[in-house]
Amino acid sequence: MAVQNKRQGPLSAHTVVDTDLHLRIPLDDLAKYMDEPHRSIVENPTFTPVDRTGWNRYMGKKITKNELPDADAVQEHVCGEFQVDYPLINAFPVLASVPEDDRAVHMMRAYNDYMLDNYLDKYDHFLGLASIATQKPDEAAEEIDRISTEKQIVGVYLLTSTGTHPPLGDPKYDPIYKAVQDNNLHVAFHGSAGAPFAKDFPLQNSHFNRFLPTHILSHPWEMMLTMTSLLVEGVPVKFQDINFTFLEAGISWVPYMMFRWNKDYSMRRTEAPLLEKSPEEYIRDQFYFASQPVGEPNDPEDLKRIIDIMGTNRLMLATDYPHWDFDHPDALDKHIRQFYDEEERAKILSGNAIEAFDLDI
Amino acid sequence: MTTYTVLDESELEDGDRIVTEIKGREIAVFKLDGEYYAYLNWCAHQGGPCSEGNVTGTYEAYYNEETGETSLEWERENEILNCPWHGWEYDITSGLCLSRKTVRLPSYPVSVVDGGIQITL
Repeated sequence: MAVQNKRQGPLSAHTVVDTDLHLRIPLDDLAKYMDEPHRSIVENPTFTPVDRTGWNRYMGKKITKNELPDADAVQEHVCGEFQVDYPLINAFPVLASVPEDDRAVHMMRAYNDYMLDNYLDKYDHFLGLASIATQKPDEAAEEIDRISTEKQIVGVYLLTSTGTHPPLGDPKYDPIYKAVQDNNLHVAFHGSAGAPFAKDFPLQNSHFNRFLPTHILSHPWEMMLTMTSLLVEGVPVKFQDINFTFLEAGISWVPYMMFRWNKDYSMRRTEAPLLEKSPEEYIRDQFYFASQPVGEPNDPEDLKRIIDIMGTNRLMLATDYPHWDFDHPDALDKHIRQFYDEEERAKILSGNAIEAFDLDI
Repeated sequence: MTTYTVLDESELEDGDRIVTEIKGREIAVFKLDGEYYAYLNWCAHQGGPCSEGNVTGTYEAYYNEETGETSLEWERENEILNCPWHGWEYDITSGLCLSRKTVRLPSYPVSVVDGGIQITL
């Protein structure tokens, strides 16, 4: 149901879930949620801090840097201006870049506690994805058991397979997926064009001297790597109750992967022997995709063709706010209003997210 | 419906196959565990001569929810036909494609009459 008192506009009559909303928690504030010795290391990072690294997103002063420093800012900008009823918030940590695995585990817990105290506890209609460090899967599973008792936590947030070694389909991570399934949660993957990507795609990063090509390639490559790892290892077969959501790579890469996977699978089925149906069917049955960044074809009908191939039951609205490349909700909704009926629009604005994360709204 | 005698029973060993041409169609006859099977020699993928490919076993994997272990087993030795062009797998006993559940090789009735292997088209 739609939250009361939302701003009037094209979305005011609909329930809207924004599936990708980011925090940027200052390390000094995060450190207050940690014990020593990790607190001092996080306060005074001297080696691979987990803040953003590398490329300048803002081109000097050309793009204004936005932040959501507190829950009221989410309420004002996202729920107010963007007419979002239910923001699905992630703390946006880059835990895969933390070299000390025990520090990564402590930071994981701190990120989750910080998000709960400072955001989810402030507004009942805020939802959250729990941050998970993958270095120690058994301890990640313990954290999932702990955090899943919070009713506003509806899933876990995993940094995609760059910086995460081995890739996320590896049986090493089965304890994480088992804990997710046992606690009736779901999974969302998110990439990064920063440090983790530079770590695993060093040539790509060093051979381009602008952020533009790095950013274009990073997210879809990371999602392709993650999806491929999940399928080849049979993760959706082993954990059939989990829905897997792919954030911040848009959707145009999805049909390509469906059909390429089908083709290669039929030629080399014995190398993905856990699969019991075509790869395309797993993608259509258990995988969901967030809209941002909405592709911008010269002919808007081309976007409709992509959505039609993927199916309107796989697509979920996402803004990626407050990042420099965020989509205003209307970037997607203007196409949906033009090309689809109200029933399908409702699925994209909230119905698919309700299914993907079993939301009780 | 016409019946064609394609070869003498004694000419086809168990586990072996022949490819013959009847009315312009290439048809393969397999003998496996005493049973005969006849399929069109035309892979559903890209029209490759699937019946001329190697006959092998295949890998199947099993996930045990209780233990969390995945076991990989090599099974069905001599029952799996592999198209030589791209490796599409077919079950010789059913003609079913292992990777695409809706795909099956066109098949023909086979009978043995007076020692002769006959195919009905």
